[in-house]
Amino acid sequence: MTTDLAMPVFTNNSEEELQGRWGMVVDQDLCTGCQACVAACSMENNVPFVEEEDAAYGRAMHWIRIERLWEKTEYPEVKMTPFQPTMCQQCHNAPCEPVCPVFASVHSASEDLNLQVYNRCIGTRYCGNNCPYQVRAFNWRDYTDARIRPHLTTLQNQLNPDVTVRRRGVMEKCTFCIQRIHKAEDKAKSEGREIEDGEFTTACAQACPANAITFGRIDDPNSAVSKAATGSRGRHLLEELGTLPRVTYLAGGA
Amino acid sequence: MSDSTMLLAVFDDLEPATHAIDKLHEMGVEDHQMNVISGIPFPGRVLGRPSALTNVSRIAMFGALLGMSLGIFLIYGTPALYPLHVGGQPVFPVPMGLIITFEMTMLGLMGLAFIGVFVDSGFPSYTPMEYVPEISDGKIAILFSCPSADQMNFVDALTKVGAESVAPAEARQL
Amino acid sequence: MATYAKPLVRQQPHTEEHEDPREHLMHDPLPRGKMNEMVMESMHETNPIFWVITAVLAGIVVFALGYEWYVLIMQGQGTAGVTRPDYWGVFLVNTVFWIGISHAGTFISAILRVMKVESRRPFTRAAELMTTFGLIQAGLSIFMHLGRVWVVYFMVPFPNERRLWPDFHSPLMWDLMAITTYVLCSTMYLFLPLIPDVAMARDRSEGWRKVFYRILALGFRGTEGEWKNLVTAMNIFAFAIIPVMFSVHTIVSWDFAMATRPGWSSTVFGPYFVIGALHSGMAAVAIVLFLLRSTMKHYKYFIRPEHFGTIGMLMLLVSMAWAYFYFNDYIVPWYGGDKWDKLLQEYTETGPLAYLWFTMLIVNIVIPWATLWNKKWRETPWLLASVGLLINVGMYIERYLIIPVGVTITRMPFTWRQYYPRIEIPMTIGTFALFLLLYMLASRLIPLIPVWEVQEGQENHILRKVGKANIPSISELE
Repeated sequence: MTTDLAMPVFTNNSEEELQGRWGMVVDQDLCTGCQACVAACSMENNVPFVEEEDAAYGRAMHWIRIERLWEKTEYPEVKMTPFQPTMCQQCHNAPCEPVCPVFASVHSASEDLNLQVYNRCIGTRYCGNNCPYQVRAFNWRDYTDARIRPHLTTLQNQLNPDVTVRRRGVMEKCTFCIQRIHKAEDKAKSEGREIEDGEFTTACAQACPANAITFGRIDDPNSAVSKAATGSRGRHLLEELGTLPRVTYLAGGA
Repeated sequence: MSDSTMLLAVFDDLEPATHAIDKLHEMGVEDHQMNVISGIPFPGRVLGRPSALTNVSRIAMFGALLGMSLGIFLIYGTPALYPLHVGGQPVFPVPMGLIITFEMTMLGLMGLAFIGVFVDSGFPSYTPMEYVPEISDGKIAILFSCPSADQMNFVDALTKVGAESVAPAEARQL
Repeated sequence: MATYAKPLVRQQPHTEEHEDPREHLMHDPLPRGKMNEMVMESMHETNPIFWVITAVLAGIVVFALGYEWYVLIMQGQGTAGVTRPDYWGVFLVNTVFWIGISHAGTFISAILRVMKVESRRPFTRAAELMTTFGLIQAGLSIFMHLGRVWVVYFMVPFPNERRLWPDFHSPLMWDLMAITTYVLCSTMYLFLPLIPDVAMARDRSEGWRKVFYRILALGFRGTEGEWKNLVTAMNIFAFAIIPVMFSVHTIVSWDFAMATRPGWSSTVFGPYFVIGALHSGMAAVAIVLFLLRSTMKHYKYFIRPEHFGTIGMLMLLVSMAWAYFYFNDYIVPWYGGDKWDKLLQEYTETGPLAYLWFTMLIVNIVIPWATLWNKKWRETPWLLASVGLLINVGMYIERYLIIPVGVTITRMPFTWRQYYPRIEIPMTIGTFALFLLLYMLASRLIPLIPVWEVQEGQENHILRKVGKANIPSISELE
C-alpha cells in the first residue's frame, strides 16, 4: 500500500448509494396535543432550553411543534383545527438546500433526508427563511454553555452522547433521529441483514402515547408507514409548493 | 548619445504649443523623438501628432478571458471536483453559470485594464524624471531631443513661437 | 387674397431669459493654477468644528458600532431582534440600503460619462467616494448579520484540505462574486482619474503630504502615453462597470426573489431594486453635494445650481420609474390569487406598521413629484438636499417593509411574529457615522474635485455665434 504524497487530491468520490428512504406518517385524528413528542425529541437530540425572555420572543428551538389553530369564538363554542405536529418534512426538493452558500444544508444520498451540517454552517439563516414550513431552529445564543449558564451544569448529564451539542450561530432542525437510523443500519449490516420494520423508531414516534406518529422505510411497500401513507386520508402540507415532503398527514376521518 | 540633448519647452496655452510642434517637425525632429506632457489629455489630432499607442485594451481583453475561465471553473469545475446534491437542482446549473461567468469576466476585464495602466505606463516609478510642476497647473511641455550642436537654434526658434521657457531637461525627483 | 397669418399680437421683448453662460461652470473657466489652488486650500484649511464633529463621529463608531458588534459576536444573534420567522432583519436592510447608495456613484461617473453629460464633471469623484464608502458599510452590515462570522471564509472559493467548495446555487454566493467585483472595480475606477489630481497635489505639497501624494501618484507626469493609457482604461471601466452595476443590485434582489416567502418571490424584484438603488443613491448624492458646497471652501465655484438641476431632474425621472415598478409589484398581490401574498399586503397596509407604508409613498412619490418639476426649486441646493433626505428615509422604509415586515407573514400562521430591532439600532447608527467619518477624513486627504476633468470640459466648451446669439457648444475632444 503505497501513498503518493506528492500530489494533493482534490476529488471526492464518497457519494454513497441509497440505503433506504425514510418517511413518517402523522395521524392528526389520533393526536391529543400532549407534547410528549416535543419533550422526547428535545431530550433525544440535545435541543437547548432557551430562557423565558427568548421563548416569549419566539426563539424556542423545538424541532417539532404542535400547531394549534382556532377561530376566535366565545367559550363554550370552540372551533379548532386538528392538532398538527410539525417537524422537518425532509423534502425531496428542499427549498432550504440550494440557498445555503456553504453546503451546510445538503441532501443525503443514502437516506434521502435533508442534512444539516453544524460545523459548516456560517449562520446566514437563508435556509430558515426559505423553509416554507418554518421548521428550522437557530442557536441565537450559547444556550448549552454551562460556563455562562451555570444552572446547566448538572443538566448536562442528560445530554445524548450520540448527538452533537450545537453552539451559537448554527442552524438546526429535525433529522428523523438520524443517529438512531445509523445505529440500526450499522447493527443490521454487522449482522448481515436488512433492517426490520419497527426495529427502531424516532424519539417522537416512540414517545407518542396515542401512536399518532409512524416512522419507517417508505420504499418498502410492506412497512407500516407505507401502508399508512397510502390511504384516502393522506395529504402533504403545502403540497402546492412542490417540495415533495416525506411526511404524510392523515386527517378527516374522525 | 552625448550627441543629442533633451530639451524641455514649456508653453502657456495650446495654440503656441501646436505651432511649436510644427516648427519642430520643420527643424527635423521626428515624432518619436518628442513627447508632450500636459495637465489634461490632448488627443493626437489636436496636437498635430500621431496618437499614442496603448496596450491597455489588449491586456484588458486578455483579462476578460482569464476572468471567464475562472468563472467557468468556479461554477462547473468545483461541482465536478466535489459534487453535492441540493434541493432537486442540477449539479451543473446553467443560469448560475451565466451569472458567475459574467461577473468574473467583468472582474478580469476591469482588473487587468487597471493593471494594464500600471504595466504600460511603468507605474509606479519613483526615479527622477524630466518634469516641471507647472505642468499640473495647466502648462503644456514638449520634451524633445535635438542635436547638441543646434541647441541654441531650437531655443531661439521655440521662444519665437511663444515658449515660456526652453531649457535642458533635467531629471528631478518628482 | 386673404392671409392666414395672424400678426404676433402679444410679443414679448427679448428679455434675458437666457442666463449668462458664465453661470455655468463649463463656461466660466479659471486658470488651472487657480483652480488647483482653490482645491488644495479647501483640503488644507480646517476649522475646529470639523475636528469636533470628527471626534464625535469617531466616538459613535467606536462605541455604537465597535463595542456593540463585539457584544453581538460574543453573545450571538440573540442580542439582535431576529427570531423565527424573522430570520433576516435590519442588518439586511442596511446591506441593501448601502449597496443602493453606492450605485449612485457608478451612475454618475460611468453612465453620465458614457452619455457625455458634461455637467457631471465636478462631482464624479464625490459620488464615486460615496460608492466605495457605501460598499464598506454594506460589507460590514452583511458580516454583522452572520451567525458565525469567524468562519465567513467558508464562502470564499479556494482549494482547502477539506476539499470543499462553496455552493454556487445560492444567491448569497452570487452576491459575494458580484459585490467583490463591484467593490474592486469601483475602487479602481475611483483611483484611475484620481492619479492626475494626486500628481497635482504632489506638486503643490510639502512634508508628509508630499510623501503621501508622491507614493499615491505613482510617478505620473502627464505624458501622451500615460494619458492614453489612463483614458483608454477609464473608457473601458465606464462601459464595463455599467452592466456590473445593474447586475449587482439585481443579484442582491435575487436574495429575496429566489426565496419561497410570500411577497418575496416576485419576478419584478430585479429591475425594481435597481431603480430603488438609483432612487436612494441620487438622493444621497444631492445631500452630499449640498454638504460639500456649504462646508468646503471655494466649492461654490465648482458645484453650482446647474449641477443640482441635473441631479434633481434625474431624481424626478427615477422617482417616476420607481413608482412604476412599485405599482407593478403592488397590483399583482392586490388582484388576488395567492392568499398569502394578499395577506402580507394587507398586513403591510393596515397592520401595526401601516404608518411606515404610508410615509414611504408620500416621501418617495408625492414629494418628489410635487417639488422636482420646478427648475428653480431643483436648482436650490438646500431644497434638493431636503427632498433627497426624505427620499432616503422613504427608501429605507421600503427596504424595511420588504425584509423584516415581509418575513412576518408565512404560510404557517402559527409562526407569525412581529420583528423588533434591538442591537441593530446602535449598530445602524454606527454605520452611518462611519460613512460620514470616512468621507470627512477623505476630504482632508484627497482632492474631491477632479480638476483635470473640469479643465478638460472647460476647454471643450465654447460659445459659438449662431445668427445673433451666442450659443454654448461642446466639442468632442476625444
